[in-house]
Amino acid sequence: MSNAEAQVVQEEIDLGPANKVIDKYLNMKGALMPVLQEVQDAYGYLPEPCIHLISERLNVYLSQIYGVLTFYAQFHLEPRGKYIVRVCMGTACHVKGAGRIGDTLSELLGIGHAETTEDLKFTVEHVACIGACGMAPVIMVNEATYGSMSVQKMGEIVAKYRAMD
Amino acid sequence: MVTLTIDGKQVQASKAATILDAAMGAGITIPVLCHAKKLLPYGACRVCLVEVEQMKGRLIPACTTPVTEGMVVTTMSPEIKKVRKTVLEFLLVNHVVDCPVCDKGGECDLQDLTYEYEVTTNRFKDAKFNLETDERNPFIERNMNRCVLCGKCVRVCDEIVSYGSYSFINRGFDTKVATAYDRGLDCEFCGQCVSMCPVGALLPRPFKFKARPWQLKEVDTVCGYCGNGCTVTLGVLDNKVETIRFNDKIGVNDGNLCVRGRFGYSYINAEERLKRPLVRKNGRLEPATWSEAMEAVAAGFEKARAEKGLGILSGGRLTNEEYFYLGHLADKVLKTPHLDHSGGECYKGLSQGLAETLGIKASTGTFPQVEGCDAILAIRSDFYETHPVFGMVVNQAVKRHDAKLAIISDKKGKFTKLPGAKTLLTKPGTEVAILNAMAQVLLTEGLAVTEGVTGVEGLRAALADYAPQAVAAKTGVPAEAIEAAARAFAKGKNKAILMAYGLPYSAQSRELGVAAANLAILAGVFDGEKGGLYLCGEKANSQGAIDQWILPRPNGMGAQAMLQAAAEGNLSALYVIGEDPLLSYPDRAKVAAALDKIPFLVVQDLFMTDTAREADVILPAVSFAEKNGTFTNAERRVQRLRPGVKSPGEARSDLSIFALLAARMKDPLVFTGPEAVFAEIAQTVPEYAGLSFNAIGPEGVVWGGEHLATKTRNLVAVKGGEPLAARFQMVTGSALFHSGTLSVRSKGPMSALPEPYAEFCLEDAAELGLAEAQTVCLKGNGEELRLKVKVGKRMPRGVIFVPYHFGSAGVNRVYRGETSVTVEVSK
Repeated sequence: MSNAEAQVVQEEIDLGPANKVIDKYLNMKGALMPVLQEVQDAYGYLPEPCIHLISERLNVYLSQIYGVLTFYAQFHLEPRGKYIVRVCMGTACHVKGAGRIGDTLSELLGIGHAETTEDLKFTVEHVACIGACGMAPVIMVNEATYGSMSVQKMGEIVAKYRAMD
Repeated sequence: MVTLTIDGKQVQASKAATILDAAMGAGITIPVLCHAKKLLPYGACRVCLVEVEQMKGRLIPACTTPVTEGMVVTTMSPEIKKVRKTVLEFLLVNHVVDCPVCDKGGECDLQDLTYEYEVTTNRFKDAKFNLETDERNPFIERNMNRCVLCGKCVRVCDEIVSYGSYSFINRGFDTKVATAYDRGLDCEFCGQCVSMCPVGALLPRPFKFKARPWQLKEVDTVCGYCGNGCTVTLGVLDNKVETIRFNDKIGVNDGNLCVRGRFGYSYINAEERLKRPLVRKNGRLEPATWSEAMEAVAAGFEKARAEKGLGILSGGRLTNEEYFYLGHLADKVLKTPHLDHSGGECYKGLSQGLAETLGIKASTGTFPQVEGCDAILAIRSDFYETHPVFGMVVNQAVKRHDAKLAIISDKKGKFTKLPGAKTLLTKPGTEVAILNAMAQVLLTEGLAVTEGVTGVEGLRAALADYAPQAVAAKTGVPAEAIEAAARAFAKGKNKAILMAYGLPYSAQSRELGVAAANLAILAGVFDGEKGGLYLCGEKANSQGAIDQWILPRPNGMGAQAMLQAAAEGNLSALYVIGEDPLLSYPDRAKVAAALDKIPFLVVQDLFMTDTAREADVILPAVSFAEKNGTFTNAERRVQRLRPGVKSPGEARSDLSIFALLAARMKDPLVFTGPEAVFAEIAQTVPEYAGLSFNAIGPEGVVWGGEHLATKTRNLVAVKGGEPLAARFQMVTGSALFHSGTLSVRSKGPMSALPEPYAEFCLEDAAELGLAEAQTVCLKGNGEELRLKVKVGKRMPRGVIFVPYHFGSAGVNRVYRGETSVTVEVSK
């Protein structure tokens, strides 16, 4: 902590859930990864104020945490949609037309790979094999898997989730 | 020891050595990019690959491989050369190779290796880096297009500085060194990363396009700011200090520097330096010749001696030779007992306390010993603010060697964040009570060393009131924390107690000195192989001022008494040397009254200071970079200063001014220069006996040896101060970017911290509705201060920190030398 400690203007956010996660892991060695994962679970992404809090309470340099956050693809620094739609681009799905499924999804939602709709409802991700080649082409919406996808089915699934909260 | 063969040569190395260490010890060169002797081995660049007969089939990195008995190492072969060349080709794939405009050109490790290995073409092709250069701070330019990802900056900032500005971000080809959130660098700006960078990725901005490295004349000398005594190498071109270069080959600081030492040099070349003597004629300061000026000074001092006497106030940055000469002038020529120096008021109490207990007047150990200590106690100061580079030694003790660190202070600091550090956050002015309570714990729990110690029973009785529970109520530090700190400290084998002293720390200095000495004695601090009690003076030669006794003679007045006498019309002249009391002394009104009333004032300084404006005669003096002589740092290390540049105009060294004055006043003694004065010091000052000016080597000479023996071990009971009951109180002290009032003359420190601030904790700021950078009004001692707000996590509730360096803001109108001042806060 020096005289030059950066004063970063931070967005207003409830740090309660993050504090709760940190409480659980405080004084534990190698706690950074599980803390980051669980805080992300609580907020859907890793808001900057939470990262500052983690740095402060676990006494890990902010820069070091940022290094970890940018190393792993699993961490997200921007808010993400309520529904994460993963379109498998693995070999089997590719052969069975995953490209068209992805294009259809993008047309329907107006966003591309790794983007989130403005209403924070959907995030699209093109991913490598999700291990369900028998059902190719396949997509996932959060934990639910939808196989043997078609353009029409894509439209139905989007409509279904749009109608949900 | 292990015996191995390197390039056919039998080499002995310690068991813990790496192949690289062993080779270097035997004078065999292995190229490196990512290795630095002060950092832990890393093995990132693969330039140091060698062949080891016992590990055939692959090449081995010399910098991370430990030696084994009978190892046979080859450091050069066609195969090694080929592989190293390939490594360089890889490093050059994305590197922009913009050597013609790179300031590193001529001293760049990558450039040198590329040349040595004749990497004329590259078999690999990829896009060149195209990253934005970070020029958002005034000190360090970060051009990541030249980075080779050696990680030295990342590691030095963590391992040594413990700030952690940098990290590797992203992954694979996209990896780069960046700050958190890839923002502009905003740190302590110590520049350690710049000195570590093997390429031109990190450069000192003030030096950009100033000179090619080979054009610079390099002069090794000692930094003129604080009592750390770091070796700095002046980079001089055309009689101008263009940069401060790091030097890890000599001195006590291992090449480590702080923002002041590395970037605070512009005052040396400043246009505003005083270049001619000035004498007041008809109320105006007019340029004069040295002869006219000295005549006026001599006449004024003669007159003062015939009347109510003359007082001398000196700064803390004169050389030993100058101090000695000044003492001689006071005693034999000006014949006045009224002599004092910056920090003298603080030292007076401290030295009194130490005389009663230990019979010593200086630190008992050296800085490097602290790295080997397993228990460290820092009192009052976070050393990052007063002695940053000593702070880095503590970092290494804690981070590399698991030393237990405790801090007794009224604010948190960088030490607070070190792994396992325990901060006993006291109410201002109650540090003594904590030290007493720790001593009490040692005595009652039978942990105390009492053999050969006097005064044990007296102290035991007096400490009855200082049971941790009682002290907890007064200081706000939980009893368990005090007990734990005492036990942990007692358990250490090698221990160090660190204390800083100086102008802003004079309150309760005797009590703190005694209480610290008591604890040191009881904890057996002086019985360890390493460590001791460290008294760290604020200024570059604070220790020298004490060694040459720039303190009141018998019946003489100290600084405060002189000012008091002057204000009451009981002193006829003041000779102020390298000091600006109006800005830096507590109680500006009192100083102003003294200067107003004093019939004759002589100021000897580099700049037209506030105090100088009041003078009758101003004598232009010179900076450390223009001086020949010695400084003694806070660990008693006597080190050589060497002049790098000529003085501007007619300015003269303090030594030569003293000689002029002595000659004018018909002193029969003639000194021909610093060497002659030092010879006289070696004759007269017992601690310096036997030292010789020219025999002071690159490591300096520590007077009294590595361990200064205590003369007595006598426990003395002292009472701590009472905390203020006020809702808000102001405390003052040093801020990292500045040292005394000299650094406010330098562009570097001023661009980092151009004005004082009032630092609040988050909770107080929220309660008062104060936001960062807003102006706040502090009312105390009948005066008002308007300052910018700084909000942070350092301060406890109700305590406001205001750095003391900026007298112009009037901090010393409110601060009058007390531990803390009750203030009212309003918007």
